[in-house]
Amino acid sequence: MFTRKWQPLRWVRYVALAPLLLLLNGCATHSIWWIFDPHGVGAKASFDYMMIDVAVMLGIVGLTAIMIVWFMWRYHKGRNRGTYDGKWAHSTTIEVFVWGIPILAVGFLSWAVAINGSFAVNPYNPTVITRHLKPHGDPIEVDVIATDWQWLFIYPQYHMAVANELVVPAHTPVFFKLTSTAVTTDFFVPQLLGMIDVMPGMRTKDALESDSIGQYQGVAADYCGAGTSWMLFKTHVVSKSDFASWVHHAQQSTGNLTVAGFNRFAEPYININNKVEYFSQVQKGLFNQVILEVMHGRKWPLPMFMTENMVGYLKKQAAEHRA
Amino acid sequence: MLVNLPGPWNPWLGRLALSEIPYTNPILAPLFVVVVVLGLLMVAGITYYGKWGYLWKEWLTTVDHKKLGIMYIILGLVMLFRGFIDGLMMRTQQAMAVGPHASGMMGAVHGYLTPFHFGQIYSAHGMIMILLAATPLLVGIMNIVIPLQIGARDMAYPYLNALGLWITAAAVVLIMASLFVGDFAHNGWFGYAPIFELAYSPGVGVDYWIWTFQLVALGTTLGSINFIATIVKMRAPGMKWSRLPMFTWASLSANIIALTSFPCLQVAIGLVAADRYLGTHFFTAGFGGNLMLYTNLFWLWGHPEVYFVILPAFGMISEIIPTFSEKPLFGYVTMVLATFAIAGVSWLVWLHHFFTMGMGPYVSTEFSVATMLVGIPTGVKVFNWAFTMYRGRLTYTAAMYWALGALFLLLVGGLTGMMLSIPAINYMVHNSVFVVAHFHMMLLCIVYAIFGSVIYWFPKVFGYTLNEAWGKVMFWLFSAGTALVFIPMFMEGFMGMTRRLDWPFDPHWAPYLNIQVLGILVYVLSILAFVVMLYVSIRDRAQHRAAADAWGTSRSLEWLTASPVPFYNFAVVPQVNARDEVAWRREHGLSAQRASHYDAIHMPNNTGIAIIIGGLTFVLGFALTWRIWWLSLISLLAIIVMMIYRSAKGDPGHVIPAEEVERMDREAERTMPRADLPRHSGGVLGGAIAYDSGAAGEGSANLRGAPDYRP
Repeated sequence: MFTRKWQPLRWVRYVALAPLLLLLNGCATHSIWWIFDPHGVGAKASFDYMMIDVAVMLGIVGLTAIMIVWFMWRYHKGRNRGTYDGKWAHSTTIEVFVWGIPILAVGFLSWAVAINGSFAVNPYNPTVITRHLKPHGDPIEVDVIATDWQWLFIYPQYHMAVANELVVPAHTPVFFKLTSTAVTTDFFVPQLLGMIDVMPGMRTKDALESDSIGQYQGVAADYCGAGTSWMLFKTHVVSKSDFASWVHHAQQSTGNLTVAGFNRFAEPYININNKVEYFSQVQKGLFNQVILEVMHGRKWPLPMFMTENMVGYLKKQAAEHRA
Repeated sequence: MLVNLPGPWNPWLGRLALSEIPYTNPILAPLFVVVVVLGLLMVAGITYYGKWGYLWKEWLTTVDHKKLGIMYIILGLVMLFRGFIDGLMMRTQQAMAVGPHASGMMGAVHGYLTPFHFGQIYSAHGMIMILLAATPLLVGIMNIVIPLQIGARDMAYPYLNALGLWITAAAVVLIMASLFVGDFAHNGWFGYAPIFELAYSPGVGVDYWIWTFQLVALGTTLGSINFIATIVKMRAPGMKWSRLPMFTWASLSANIIALTSFPCLQVAIGLVAADRYLGTHFFTAGFGGNLMLYTNLFWLWGHPEVYFVILPAFGMISEIIPTFSEKPLFGYVTMVLATFAIAGVSWLVWLHHFFTMGMGPYVSTEFSVATMLVGIPTGVKVFNWAFTMYRGRLTYTAAMYWALGALFLLLVGGLTGMMLSIPAINYMVHNSVFVVAHFHMMLLCIVYAIFGSVIYWFPKVFGYTLNEAWGKVMFWLFSAGTALVFIPMFMEGFMGMTRRLDWPFDPHWAPYLNIQVLGILVYVLSILAFVVMLYVSIRDRAQHRAAADAWGTSRSLEWLTASPVPFYNFAVVPQVNARDEVAWRREHGLSAQRASHYDAIHMPNNTGIAIIIGGLTFVLGFALTWRIWWLSLISLLAIIVMMIYRSAKGDPGHVIPAEEVERMDREAERTMPRADLPRHSGGVLGGAIAYDSGAAGEGSANLRGAPDYRP
């Protein structure tokens, strides 16, 4: 029914981009306008759809605004610019236009952006990535577990894991499975891929592919408690060979992650110190194990010294940070 | 104890303890002192001037829809200020804390608020602004205007009206109590599952949030029943559906939404309470709970609620623009259709609040397209307002400024709303400050409409107009504040800054956050301008005495009766002849026509039961929050006893004799400035009945319009 072959109107974005050039101020590799400077296939597609939508809507809204301002100027009482007709309150022609224009615009955007876009960047099966799957070689799998308040990235293909840092190879699709231990949050790397909810006792999916080597900021985009702001992770997109050597390096680390070890790792912790940890050996099936345990009622309760009375805890963390 | 509380509890005080009062907090402790001093000053002042009796008789026990409306508006304005202070703290915290090297004070690592404190502030800000500022302000204006617009003497259920107000006031007191006793919720105004569960929010904050929500939902539901009954049953003779003023139409649609959606909220929040108090697992992650169920239930109410607040605002704009364009509203029929289209579609869009849940492209497409459908009737409304101005004679009064300002905010909000309605775009900006800026455009559209209608209807209620110059100064300051706060916020959204960060980690955001603080300061100036406007207007009230038709170009029925409107609204229930009745009478030279015959008026009696039940609901909410079971039980029983007592007692009402009505009406006419002469010198059309004389043959019509308060 919905074929994914149709390409969004590629040219429209360039037209719509013109006024935005002012904002991009020489957008190099380190643009601060993350949403306008996408480096992931999904983020780029989202950006294209945004430009189509903005172009159409700006056309209508802009013209409407001009029309209103013109009416405001022309029919100002006492200026005698327009003719007054105090009875005029209906016109079938105008009614046809005032209903017709929004209907046409919504109709077009529904098809061009809402329907097509929902399939193109569907987090579970983003066709912008999956339709090119073959030539790009084997995809990388990453299991993401959000705790209160750290990120754990497990690479099941390499039996290793890293906390609070994500490293992926360029030109390679990366498929994420995500869950959380305690509460809900959002996985988000603004320049690479859109947000996806991360929920305890449930598994969501997302996918990422990037052709630009670099370092991108990843965040927890949804409030999940006191540590949300510090729940950051750097995302490194590296060349395939660099990735191989990074994996090798990580596998040399001494850290070992069993279910028991993970349960200690998942204790509430505000990562003010931006601590990154490597685990060379991860117990097989840890990701599923965590989901199952949560489904069976496992919790990581927050003590009151991390909510109501958190000043003391923050002091301790800040002291560690400075040390 | 049904659940294991993480803190101490005793049977007499529940979780209450001296340590729950934040007397060491350097923000709250001085604030508490200020509040206490102000409160004592007020009490002393009232006692000194001997006004307790007046306060009790005229205000606290009143069932007059106008006085209740005024109290709703005062409540809303006070909470608007409280919510603004929360906003001010968020803006200053983010500006002070931005970047990895920002210093910290008062226990915070960066800035001056700890994450938990910041969480409480934005949660309280959201809840207060939507439910305890915007909603009471709108309900207050609806309360005042609807009976006047349809020619009724009061609401259908005056006692229920008072009850709604006092329960809402109880919710306000409860959320304010959370400032000084214990904490408020930190999990966002709409709450996240499962962070509001006892394991992740061990304090009383979420409990305050639950009971405040329940009280305000109850108060609003009672109000919506009343509005619907009033509009359906209490219209003056001749006020056919096709003649109903636009604001009344908009309010009707809004209250249908409220009546049908608020119970959904009460169920959702009730289940949260069951989780926290009884140890059930409706929304827990484990034991078969489903946390997304909460999010669905909440937004199933939450999105209709958005239209519950925006539709009356659209109605206000639809009243102000025609008055100051000296033209009827363009496309009345399509406007009504558009209003109900928005109300209908509002039920089909709730999933767009969480497109990132991962619901799959088929589901998200459906909700995306449904959301965009809202844009069609909304677009129609904007065009209709524009064509109302077309071929008009526009007078730029302060009220018109606010209405037009709302129109432009709606355009910006609509443009960004159409972006957010599309999942592919939403994934990039959901939960970012871009969303925050978008919905502030929409909510400020409501605030603009509210300020416009406060200025617009003020002379009808108080008998004199507000100062135009200061109203415009306030408008420009407020608009400058809006631009300075929210344009940078839109831009930060494109920088990938997410919502609710107590510590904005990227130093690149600093300049934009600083501009926002500047905007907040301009907002402070606009509040001062508002205060000055009130002061100057009250001082000069004698010079700005308003006629029945305060603006000279007003159109709908409320402008027919005296300004200030007497407590019985209309001395004689008017016969409605046209859609824009006052404009019709003006055109036909009937403006100066006076009633020749008066009838006795039957009015409801004041009652103190509403405020007592309101007070008891506060006690119940407070006792449940702190788990003081004996007090909860006693207050609940007391509420039930009061309800039974009131039902058994009933209210016979009282009758104002015809001579008294005539005397008061003549008096009002004498003190009002002369109604301006008819603009068009056409003669009176034959057969026009300006006033229903109540004579034989018209008697039945009179009965239809005049409410009967006998039980």
